[in-house]
Amino acid sequence: MVSLVVSWLLAAAAGRAAPAAPETGPAEERRKLEEQIAKELGASPAPAAAAAAAGQGIATAPTGGSPLARVLLLPDISAIGDFALAYDTLQPGQRAPASGPALDAHRLTPQLQEAELALQAVVDPYARADVFLTLDDQGIEVEEAFITTLSLPAGLQAKAGTFRSPFGRLNGLHRHVWDFVDTPASFQRLLGGDGLKGPGLDLSWLAPLPWFLELHLDYQSTTPGFSATRSLTGLARLLQYFDLSDAMTLGVGLSAGPLSQTGPDAWRDLAGADVYLRIRPPAGRAYVALQGEIYARRYRGTVDPTDPSIAEEGTRAGGYGQVVWRWSPYFKAGARYDQGPVGAVWPSGVQRDVALLAGWLPSEFMRLRLQASYSRLPGQVNGFGGLLSLEFSIGAHGAHPF
Amino acid sequence: MNDTHSRDVPSRAKRLALAVLLAAVLPGSARAATLKVVTTTEGLAALAREVAGDRASVESLSRGIQDPHFVDANPVLAVKLRQADLLVDVGLDLEVGWLPPLVNQSRNAEIQPGGRRRLTAAGAISVLEVPTGPVDRSQGDIHPAGNPHFLSDPRRALQVATAIAAKLSELDPAGAAAYSARLADFRRRIAADEKRWAAELAPLKGRKVVTQHKTLSYFLDWSGLVAAGFVEPKPGVPAPPAHLADLVGVVKAEGVKAILVENYYDPKSASVVAQHGGARVVTLPGDVGGTEAARTYEGYMDQIVRLVVEAERA
Repeated sequence: MVSLVVSWLLAAAAGRAAPAAPETGPAEERRKLEEQIAKELGASPAPAAAAAAAGQGIATAPTGGSPLARVLLLPDISAIGDFALAYDTLQPGQRAPASGPALDAHRLTPQLQEAELALQAVVDPYARADVFLTLDDQGIEVEEAFITTLSLPAGLQAKAGTFRSPFGRLNGLHRHVWDFVDTPASFQRLLGGDGLKGPGLDLSWLAPLPWFLELHLDYQSTTPGFSATRSLTGLARLLQYFDLSDAMTLGVGLSAGPLSQTGPDAWRDLAGADVYLRIRPPAGRAYVALQGEIYARRYRGTVDPTDPSIAEEGTRAGGYGQVVWRWSPYFKAGARYDQGPVGAVWPSGVQRDVALLAGWLPSEFMRLRLQASYSRLPGQVNGFGGLLSLEFSIGAHGAHPF
Repeated sequence: MNDTHSRDVPSRAKRLALAVLLAAVLPGSARAATLKVVTTTEGLAALAREVAGDRASVESLSRGIQDPHFVDANPVLAVKLRQADLLVDVGLDLEVGWLPPLVNQSRNAEIQPGGRRRLTAAGAISVLEVPTGPVDRSQGDIHPAGNPHFLSDPRRALQVATAIAAKLSELDPAGAAAYSARLADFRRRIAADEKRWAAELAPLKGRKVVTQHKTLSYFLDWSGLVAAGFVEPKPGVPAPPAHLADLVGVVKAEGVKAILVENYYDPKSASVVAQHGGARVVTLPGDVGGTEAARTYEGYMDQIVRLVVEAERA
């Protein structure tokens, strides 16, 4: 009986003590003390605070510890497969550079467009890491592998590693996030078939304003499809989002920067503007999304005669506009108009494309899309293309960007 | 003279613009003494308001009329998180499709998972439907960590409110007594409500209902009603006619009177089953703020209980 009473008293005392976290005084005193300690240590207190905070989520383990410890430390692992049945009336050279595998004309061809393997986890209290590997018929490629800081002060965030450049909207998106099965020809011709990406550093700042305003300054080594060699690339991007109403969000972005070229004092300048308008009444899942981008590229400096990629000089420009309507959780449709420079086999000229899309999403982890496109090229050349695409996702994949 | 005066003294519009700019630019601590609490759902916001009173401004990232599984990761929401003194989320992967990128975009280190200013409400309650065997997507869009729709059980809502009060007291020790007093008042009101709700629901104990999704498991656990089936054959999977036909059979065999559907779901499939099975579709608020009457947590529970009781008595 006595032992029961003692146990009860001990339990009651523990119960009282547990929730009452020791306090060092009012918040102001606490802040001053933190600043004083930071001065004494000659370091910012923020990371230490974050490190201490991170430990608070650790629950008491059962006796013997958790047998799942190794599993719990695994990063989120996912795989995404993109396959297509493709048909085109144009020769591969007339399409090049393209966002998918080369395709012989007039042959209905099954294609592995891409398989993506993603590993994503928090590194430590100060950063998270994301690794995306892509596999196709050409082999394996590091699509992105970077760390992102979590605790820089003053709204700053740094990203280091190899990653897709902050240039426009479509360039930052992985294939499985595209609405259409391919990217517009204007994107492929002006930024390269695979877009801009490479190793480097990106520093971004979220402005302390009532709307979303993010500024990126970026330095990378990129190998865009239009350049024969690696280009040292400096980019700036200003991205803003505004809620126009409960149901309508507008995003606008401006991107620009130079890429070094092989000739002496030779540069390619890139500039672009993008707009995204999403209309989605909050009570449902249906939405309409309007998206458009324009790109411009010009060469300046001395032309290197050994670099055949700069035969085009002057300013080249193009862009696209698209609308996508998802009227239920399971169905969507879209249309896209695109205008840009022609592919490599023509010395100059403009290509105009129209593409129509129908999509069926039986679940959040699979989609089947049918895309039909018509291209009008110089010399009264017309092209027709069709893509039936199957995409699936398995595992714990991170949330997609807006 | 008037011209000189107008040049020397900033116009009212200019002063207002300056004030708005300062309010936007100055850090939260310099702007106001109150805590800024951001929650992922309106239900959590309602509980935070109950215990915080005017010591905190409380804002939800999603609306009560929205399906919380499918909120857009709109970057404008990251702005709300940037200066949050506390982020309260549901957890159990309910917000996994949209919250993580917003938290990262916010640059607010302390609201990261496990951070000092992050409270995951699921940590305060006993979770139902935690899978015990192998889990894969052949089972539908399941929540591998357990069912996250727990605020339709007032007992668990009280546990969450208690956890919010404790976290607010930790972040704002000067307000601890106020949070404690408000929590005690909320607890008293919910206890009185529960007696009334229990009296209304008592005759329904053991009655069978059909629900759209497993969003009402906690309500059923609390109220004593029993799920005879679900309109979705598996979570997030649309119902084929064969499943609906089977469900009509279940509705008839079990004497189901009510098919409960949150108002963010399309009620078409439920209506078909109700029509052929002789039941009725009962449209419920999906969360606090889901309807005009559900503006507070008590209003939300009041409406759910009233609608279910009316349907079962009909």
